[in-house]
Parts: sequence; C-alpha cells; structure tokens
Amino acid sequence: MFARFDATTVAQLTANGIFRGAAYGLLGVGFALILGVTGRFHFAYSFTYTLAAYLAFTLRFRGPKLPFWIASFLGILLTAAVGVLIERFIYRPLAKRAGATALLAVFVAALGIGIAGQNMIALFWGQATQAFYGPDKKAWSIGSTRFENFDVWQTVCALALVLILTGLLRFTGLGRAIKATRVNPDLATIIGINANHIYLVCFAIGTFLCGVSAFWYGLQFTVEPNMGQRPVIFAFVVAFLAGTARSPLRVFFTGIAVALIEQWASIWLSVRWTQTAVFVILVGYLVSLSLRGRKLADLLPFLRPAPTKPAAPTAGS
Amino acid sequence: MEIWYNYAAQILVFAILAVSLNLLLGYAGQVSVAHASFAAIGGYGMGYLVQEQGWSYLPAIFVGIALAFVAGLIVALPALKLSVEYLILLTLAVSSVILGIFVAFPQLGGTYGLIKISGNSLFGFHLEHKIDWLLPTGVGLVIVYLICWRVGESPYGRVLKGIREDPLATQALGKNVFAYKVTVFAMTSAMAGFGGALYSGLLGLATPGVYGFNFSLTIFAVVIFGGMANLSGSVFGAIIIVLLDPFLQRVLKLEADKAFVIQLIVYGVALTVLMRLRPQGLFPEGFSVWRRLRHGKQQTARIEMNAETWVPDLDVKIREGDHEPDHREQGMREARWQDAEVVLRARGISKSFGGIVAAEDLDIDLRKGTITALVGPNGAGKTTVFNLLTGFIAPDQGSVVLNGTELVGRTPDAVARLGLVRSFQDVRLIQRVSCLQNVMMAVQEQPGEHMVPLFAGGSRARKGEDETREKAMGWLRFVGMADFAESPAGALSYGQSKLLSLARVLATEADVLLLDEPASGIDTKWVDTMLDLIEAVREQGRTVCIVEHNLHVVGRLADHTYFMELGRITAQGTIDELTGSERLAEAYFGT
Repeated sequence: MFARFDATTVAQLTANGIFRGAAYGLLGVGFALILGVTGRFHFAYSFTYTLAAYLAFTLRFRGPKLPFWIASFLGILLTAAVGVLIERFIYRPLAKRAGATALLAVFVAALGIGIAGQNMIALFWGQATQAFYGPDKKAWSIGSTRFENFDVWQTVCALALVLILTGLLRFTGLGRAIKATRVNPDLATIIGINANHIYLVCFAIGTFLCGVSAFWYGLQFTVEPNMGQRPVIFAFVVAFLAGTARSPLRVFFTGIAVALIEQWASIWLSVRWTQTAVFVILVGYLVSLSLRGRKLADLLPFLRPAPTKPAAPTAGS
Repeated sequence: MEIWYNYAAQILVFAILAVSLNLLLGYAGQVSVAHASFAAIGGYGMGYLVQEQGWSYLPAIFVGIALAFVAGLIVALPALKLSVEYLILLTLAVSSVILGIFVAFPQLGGTYGLIKISGNSLFGFHLEHKIDWLLPTGVGLVIVYLICWRVGESPYGRVLKGIREDPLATQALGKNVFAYKVTVFAMTSAMAGFGGALYSGLLGLATPGVYGFNFSLTIFAVVIFGGMANLSGSVFGAIIIVLLDPFLQRVLKLEADKAFVIQLIVYGVALTVLMRLRPQGLFPEGFSVWRRLRHGKQQTARIEMNAETWVPDLDVKIREGDHEPDHREQGMREARWQDAEVVLRARGISKSFGGIVAAEDLDIDLRKGTITALVGPNGAGKTTVFNLLTGFIAPDQGSVVLNGTELVGRTPDAVARLGLVRSFQDVRLIQRVSCLQNVMMAVQEQPGEHMVPLFAGGSRARKGEDETREKAMGWLRFVGMADFAESPAGALSYGQSKLLSLARVLATEADVLLLDEPASGIDTKWVDTMLDLIEAVREQGRTVCIVEHNLHVVGRLADHTYFMELGRITAQGTIDELTGSERLAEAYFGT
C-alpha cells in the first residue's frame, strides 16, 4: 500500500510531480491573471477548460476534420473568445450593477455558467468519454524514470508560455497597463488606460492558457464533460497559494511545488490520502493567513475599501 | 405514490439545508460552499452509528448534529477573518478535505459510502417507507425555520446584516463581529448536520456521490433563487428545485439521466440570468407572503421627499442670527476646557508603517463636556489618530486611558463598549436596512443580541427591542430625521446620511465621540444645523473630538484645538491663536 522510499521511486515521483505541476501551474497562471487583475472569481474557468478540449476534438474528428495542430489551436482560440464574451456580456454588466457586492454576484453567475456549461457539453456531445489522439504517444525514460513524450512537450510548452507572459507583463506597454490596472483600476483609468479593455485582454490570455492546459490533458488522457472540475480546483489552490498579484513565474513554480507535494506525499501516505494532503496544506496556509491578520490586503489588489458615495465639495471652503 | 412521498421529504430536507444556509449567506453574508459537507458530516455520523453500531436514529442524529457543530466551529475560527474570496476558497478546500476523509476510511465504506442505513426506530415509529420520513423531516423543518427566523429577525440578525454590509462599521458600534460570525457559522453547520442526518436516513445512504459538489451547488442555488435573507423564499426555492426533476421526467417525458443533465443546465442558466435580472431572488429581503396575502400589496413606507427642500425637524433650539464665531467668546471656551476634567488621556502615541511615520509621540487630552478639534493639512494623520485611539490600528507605543481604563491592546468593539465611539468620514451606513434599524443597531446592551435571552429569556428580548426602538426613535428625532425612520439608509441624500450617522453614534450613548469631518460635504445651509446638533451634544455633558478642515466650523465649535503636521502635534490653543501664527497658516493653506 505504501510506496517504498528508495531513489528510483523518489525520482519517478519527482518527474511525475514536475510534469503534473506544469499543468497545475499553467492553469494557476491563467486564473491568477483573471482574478488578480479583474477581481472576478471566475468559477466558469472549469467550463472553458472542458470546452477547449471538446472544440479541438470536434474540429479534428467531427465536422471540418481539420489537421490536428490547426484544429487544436483553433479550438483553444475559440475558447479564449468565449472567455472574453463571458466577461463582456455577463460579468461586466453584473459587476456594474452589483457595485460593492460584485464579487458575490460574479461568483454566483460564474457558478451558474460552470454548471450549465458542463452539462450543456454533456447534452451536446454525450456523457461518454471521447478519445482525443494526435501524434503518437511514445514512452521515454531516463534511467529507471519513465514518462511520455507528451509530458515533456507539455512542460516545455507551459514553461514557454509562462515566460512569454512574464516578458509581456514586464517589457511591453500592454503589460505595464495590465499591472497598473491590477494595482489600481481607477488610477489607471485616469492615466488613460481603458480598464475594461484590459479586463478583456486578461480574460483572453487567461482562457487561452486554460485551453492549452486542457488540450494537453485531453491528449494524454481522455476528453469528458467533467474533466474540468478537479484540475480547476487545483488552479485555484495554486493561484491563491502563490498570490494572485504575483508574477506568472512564481505562480507557475508554486504549481510545480503543489504537484511535488502531492506526489511525494504518497511516499508516506497511502494513495487515497495524497490529494487530501494538498487541501490540508491549503487549509493550513489559509489559517496561517488569517492568524497573521492584516496581511491579505497586500496580496489582493481588489481588497481596497469599497468605493462610497463621491465626496461632495467641502462646504464653506 | 411512494415516489411523491420521496419528493415531499426531499423538499423538506432541502428546505432545512437552504434555510440554514440562508441565515449564514443571506443574513451574515458569509459565502460558504461547504454547507453540503457539514450535511455530509451529519449524514455519515448518523449513518455509521445506525448501520455499523446498531444505534437507533434519535441519538445517532444528535451525534451527527454535534459532529457538524464541532466541525463548523473548527472551520469557523480561522475562516472568518478571511475576505470573501478566501472564504470561498477555504470552504471549497474544506469540502474536499471532508469528503477525502470519508472516502479514505474503510469503516465508512470508502468510495462506496454507507449504503444500508435502515432498520431502526425513532420515538417508536418504524421508518421503513418514505412516507414515514415526512413527519420527522417536517418537524425538523419547522424547528430549523423557527430558529433561523428567531435569530435572523431579531437584534442578533440586525447585527448579522450589519456584518454583511460593513463589518468595520459594525465593529465600530461595539459589536464583537468575530464572535457573531463564529457563532452563526457553527450554528448553521449544526443545522446542516441535522439536515444531512435526515437526508441520509431518508435515502438510506451516505455516499461521497450524494454529498458531492452538485449537492453543494444545489443548496446554494436554492438560497439564491429563493432570495437572500428571506427564509420563506428558501422553502419556496426548495419546492421548485426538487419538483423540477419530476416535471422534466413526467411532463416533458425525458429519460432520467437526460432529465438530470437538463436539470443542472436549468439551475446554471437560472442562476446566471437571475443575477443579471433579479439579484435579490424571487422573494427579496423583507418580502413576506403572509403580509402580502393579508394586506394586499405592501405599501412602501418610504416618504417621498425632495432632499433639496427638506429641512430637518429639530427639537434643538437653533440659534437665531449670525453664526459668525465670536472671537471674545473663544478665550472663555478655552478657559472652560482647561478647567474641565480629563476623560480621555493619550500619551506618547506613535505608529509607523514601514518607514512612514503616521503618528509620532502624540499627547492628546479630551475633556468632559467640551469639544476638541484636530486640524491640519491633508495627510497630517488626523484620521489615523482616530484609528489609533479606537483600536482600529494598534499603536507601536503609547497609552490611551479612558476613565481610568487602558484602551491600547483592546479591539475596536471593546473600545466602543467602554464608551469611545467614532464616526467615519465616508459615513458607512448600513445601506440596505432602514434608518431606524441603523440607529437601533448602535444601542448598547440589547438582550436580543445574545442567544440565551433570545431563546430562553421569555419576553426579555421583546421588551429590550421595544426599549431599543424607543431610544433609537429619540435619537432620530434629535437629528430631525424621524420622518425617515422606515426609509432604507441607501435612499438618503449625502447630508441626510451625515445626520443619520450622527444619530447612530449618539445612540451608542458613549461618553466620548470622535466625529470625522461631521460637516464636510454637506450643503452649506445644513452646516449650521449640524453644528447646532453638535453643540447640543456638548450641552448634554458628552465629550466630543472633531476632525475638521473647515476653520469656520472649528472656530464656532472648538473649545480647544490641536494642530497636526506630518503625524505630530505642533501647536495647540484656541483656533484664533493658531491661525494667527504665520507659520501655521502657511503650513495649513500652503501659501
């Protein structure tokens, strides 16, 4: 029942952790970008995850039967567009109307989209799992550590995307505008940044990353309507552990750390406890946060005091 | 028929869960998606004892409730200092942990769960058929509904609403926000455990599938549909959501598995659409079916008034003639200040944030029956002083003594209960409750704000509430806002909300009041009204400290003035002495 504590096992678990962590990390980066900049608790992230895999699958094997890579890329792009539409036509009007309680209103709506979306996929494509295959799966190994070609490609792809995003945020005007909006949307508006556009851009990028992650998952395993539930919860965990206002690289490596913990935990714990272990760590982290008290405000930009009625001009001055 | 009894019992169970979640989510504003997991604790706890240990239902249900209560308490202690998004995340994680634990124990059936919970009796009844469960679930709903209604519609519930809208302002009125949150979280968890125990009894099952994420979402959806902070709405929501299943299967003739998928799509779409079109839910807060049936359409109690022309109806005698500060009088007031007894003595208060010194070695005295003003340029740290005195920010050094009691180290609510209450520059009223309720919330020592008098105090809570209403009306009259008693605070003009916030501070009956820019931002013609009121408060022997930019206001009110620059007090005396100094005038006006 317990994995043996020897070098081979540890190496294998470490490799598993890194590969799986790259997926968690990429998802976490996308979610953190959305939550950190726009303040939307985008629970429908799981829906866009599943949708990306299904769209790629459909474009490849149903309807147009496009070549594999084109179908996949197009599927992910379409999903990014769906993410943008959700923000533009659902979250934004909702948040505007709800004012100070925007977070809850958006969360409930996102929950609704998540449930409805997942089940619409089930209704449209059927509950059964679909096989999504492309290039041949190859087993590779270094010493006694075994993995697949997809593991490596996925990890390299995820790392590359995260580096590109980091560069974008650090060196381009758009990136600086995103960071400015993250720190203070009102102030950003004053210096001529259109916060609404920035929000859309963040949804586009975040959903794109989510789609890429789903694509690799579909390729390695199968495509099914509820495939989004678990990975996305891990994305939340990663994003919160890293801090949603932190650099993508930090979020990404937090993802790897979480997956490593999950894997290594199986050395000491029986397998059925390992996923619980990750959540126990998260709970522990949140408890420590709450005990430290006021530190939260530094982590999340949208914890600023809620805007109240605009101050009228001072009487008699 | 059996199937309809099953639906009926399911409605009752869902209503139990939704009504209790509504107390937490709708009244207290705590977004928890773990409610189903606490139900799971009750269900599993009961199921294990009945199935594996051969207990009868009643003691097993009580153990289930107790387990859920304890779990709720443990989760609540750390969770409730977190902001909304962290609370959502934490409750999500807690759900995963709880289900993970159940799955990991072979004694609890692992991934299959407990599937043969049956056979025993409750009060001698044999619960073999679904119809037998209607009585216990029905009684259960009545109990849970009455408890939640009692709590939600009492002074306790008023505080919960305050916490929902503005925890900081609620704490500033002397309410121990943390204790309220933990109590309500643990209490609603226990009720969820009760609902779960009944649900597992009804189904004869306690499995990870039953208490999975969909279950959690369904309960959440029932509350949102029905309307937050409206308990009958939650019962109504439960009816609709449970009956959606037979509707799809029997009326629309869908197959069971398809009906399930469509049901979830309907929930999801309805949630999203509802948030857009009717975020308050089907039954909004304060809406009552009974009242609607008995009195026809409810009249809106709000009196339409033009804020432009409205004048406060004051009992206080307004001074006739010119309100120009009398410069000769100032010396007299300063002398009175010097003679008065010191009520609040702050010594050596310092605070820095990183390298920025917000307050440095401040000495401040507030004297009985006088008005002290804090003036200074923007960013001098005046509001920070209020935060330091009232415990919203802990000073690095120094002491604040109020009537012989050290305040440093106490929480803001404890400070408020000791008699030092502050108002906020940005007013911070509880927007969605009436003006009267806003003021009532400020009244101290209400029996209805505690669980024991609420449930075991006979008529104490009701009498207390009558007294509270009386007092609050008195203060509303004092500021001339009695006509607005039933209007929601959010409907007021800015000037009116300033008056209301004054009434709220006064209703605490605190000895010492810290007023943050009481006259700023209100119409010029109202400034004198506000000043008359503050003078009247001084006449009552209360101690007042104001932060104010308007030197005209300071000149008229202040008995003594402190001048602050960059976190330090650089001068004190009468306002004329201060403005007479060229250096200070330059510091203040920047000319």
